[in-house]
Amino acid sequence: MPGGGGPPARPGWREWLDVRLGLEPLRRLAEHKEVPAHRHTFWYYWGGMTLFLFGVQVATGILLLLYYRASADEAYESVRFLMTQVSFGWLIRSIHSWSANLMIGAALIHMFSVFLLKAYRGPREVTWLSGMVLLGLALAFGFSGYLLPWNELAFFATKVGTDIVGDLPLVGRFLLRFLRGGDQITGGTLTRFFGVHVAILPAIATVILGVHLYLVQRHGMSVPPGVEAAGPARRMRFVPNFLMRDMVGWLAALGVLALLSALFPWELGVKADPYAPAPAGIRPEWYFVWMFQTLKLLPSHVGPLEGELVGILGIGAAGLVWTLAPFLDDAEGRGPRARLWSMLGALAVVYVTLMTVLSYAWGGNP
Amino acid sequence: MKPARALAGAAVLGAWVALALGVGPVRGQAPATDSCLECHSQLDEERLVKPTRNFAADVHAQHRLGCAGCHGGDPKDMDVTAMDPGKGFRGVPGYEQIAEFCARCHADAELMKRYNPQPYIFSMAEFRTSVHCKKIAEGDKKVATCTNCHGVHPILSRKDPKSPVYKANVPSTCARCHNADYMKGRKVRTDQYALYRRSVHGKALLEKGDVSAPACNSCHGNHGAVPPNTQNISLVCGNCHGREGELFAASRVRDALELAGKRGCVTCHGNHDVQVPTDEMVSTRPPGLCGQCHWPNSPGDKATALIVPGFHGLKSGIAEAESLLRLAEEKGMETASGRELLKQASDQLVSVRAVLHSFDRVQIMTVLNEGAGLASQAARQGRAALLDWRNRRIGMALSLVVILALMGLLIARIRRMERGAAPAPEGGAPQARG
Repeated sequence: MPGGGGPPARPGWREWLDVRLGLEPLRRLAEHKEVPAHRHTFWYYWGGMTLFLFGVQVATGILLLLYYRASADEAYESVRFLMTQVSFGWLIRSIHSWSANLMIGAALIHMFSVFLLKAYRGPREVTWLSGMVLLGLALAFGFSGYLLPWNELAFFATKVGTDIVGDLPLVGRFLLRFLRGGDQITGGTLTRFFGVHVAILPAIATVILGVHLYLVQRHGMSVPPGVEAAGPARRMRFVPNFLMRDMVGWLAALGVLALLSALFPWELGVKADPYAPAPAGIRPEWYFVWMFQTLKLLPSHVGPLEGELVGILGIGAAGLVWTLAPFLDDAEGRGPRARLWSMLGALAVVYVTLMTVLSYAWGGNP
Repeated sequence: MKPARALAGAAVLGAWVALALGVGPVRGQAPATDSCLECHSQLDEERLVKPTRNFAADVHAQHRLGCAGCHGGDPKDMDVTAMDPGKGFRGVPGYEQIAEFCARCHADAELMKRYNPQPYIFSMAEFRTSVHCKKIAEGDKKVATCTNCHGVHPILSRKDPKSPVYKANVPSTCARCHNADYMKGRKVRTDQYALYRRSVHGKALLEKGDVSAPACNSCHGNHGAVPPNTQNISLVCGNCHGREGELFAASRVRDALELAGKRGCVTCHGNHDVQVPTDEMVSTRPPGLCGQCHWPNSPGDKATALIVPGFHGLKSGIAEAESLLRLAEEKGMETASGRELLKQASDQLVSVRAVLHSFDRVQIMTVLNEGAGLASQAARQGRAALLDWRNRRIGMALSLVVILALMGLLIARIRRMERGAAPAPEGGAPQARG
């Protein structure tokens, strides 16, 4: 090689960054990270899809913050201004709203697929728990964000939602006042929900998401018991094979978002009037509808207890059992106990789907 | 203290308190036993028994006023001496005395306030201005006095829907006399009731039960009932149609019409058969009404030639903006600010309908131009929303093309990359197939 005695070659930008940031371990990780490839690999993409949609939420949410004003007098008007006067304001709001719904949908698919493929088995119990916390946070994001445009539907849906919390024994009254910032839904509730939506929940979600991703990285993707029994699964490299497939899915999600936002722009509705009667056919967001429908189908009293209270306690207990599944199910994912849990998971999917469909089919009047 | 003694004590105390507060029997108050009702209900002559029937429903009875309240006498006296003129007995008043008879109490503000803190105080002076009273004074007994309209034995409260003077019953009560048969031989119109029933006022009151709509007495007065002979008729209509009345009263047209022997509002709207005013009335050609006074090439005709197209132009401008905004809303577009402008334009249209009564070209055109400007702005917003909607579709299509192209490129890249490689078994990188 000529010129061996000349001045040392200047390092490239990669070397420059590596010296300063220590990127080599990350590069090695990307190079060596692998993902099992089998007939259920499709379900692995839903975690990444949820993460991508969360990213869309963060980006569009920050843009919305530039115009949104969190007070009962200005919230509705500021959103209307954003949608009618700001270039692409309608698009940002529509994407934020649609993406929120798609994110919850993706998170639910991710959760049910993890449950049914028994990916929560040891040593991934904490990964499952952190995922459940993240799902709870996503629902809290949805509930708190729904009120922010301060329109009629959001106002009364929030009223119904917080009323249900108020029915809880012992802590109900405290929780209701804590959520509303008083006895009624007022401008104070709006400010509180805004703070929760843009500061408290994002801070908690960032930490829990970090833990979740770290654990996914630490333990790798779980191989379902059925595939495991057939022998060692084939594997594909995360970078670029799996990541590029992920990107195809993300692009598809982006396309769906563009389609939904242009064809069905998220409506603003009528400004909330606390003194107006509740509009007909009021219903919470679709992901809460199965609970709402369950409460409606219960009789007014079950034994000595109120039907609604029994419903709330029942749903709470079911949620607790669902969360503790990794500790209750068979550790190997085989045998009669594992089959029972698989059946429970399938039943839960059927029940939630059926209740949601029934609620929409009956138009709120069973 | 025993209960009986305690009750007796309370009764004595109550009586003292009642006396101290001045609570006591008032003029003509019905006693526990009323000899008038007792005796008259057992008489054979129907004429004398009839007043006792349904007396309990009488508004006077409900205020604890017995027969003696109007007719005098001593209701505690169970003998015929109860009707002794020395005991204040007045008997049945003559026809021409009935109004004075009722006025004894109903014109007494002090007395009437005991039954109603905001009483209607009857005025004989007002009654004497009525055609009815004047005819009675002439000895005519075929005209109405109090009992003809209010009824007698029982007399019901005017708020009672069964009362002949309840708002919705007033037109038929007046028509009991104001009809062709009863008025035969008199120079009085008798078609008012038939016309009124067809009018917007009549339909509102009689068909919809809207008691805020005017009945006969709303325009003619009740106890001073006369044909409206006010300085100008707009003072009558203006009682309810305030803004129109004020504008018309201040207009030059009011005096011009009076000079031409025409009666203000009635010239265009009619009186007993007044209909819902339509925008078609604003035109020089039939069914428009402007042409009945503004002959061709007169100054009024020239002003009308400006106002009429402007008025109908505002209406079509509003209709156009409405249809554009509705179309945009059907496509899911946000049109709140356009709607606000359209509402303001519609308010201007309502305003111009009132301002037309000023017959002042400058005033009318000012409102018309403001309305037209607002309607035009609303229509512009509707058009912009529809254009925006189209642009969104184009933008969506372009972005989908880019997204699909990127997806296609990625998929092609993955295939090309993996064409020669097989997935690795656990613990190894993808293997080349060949």
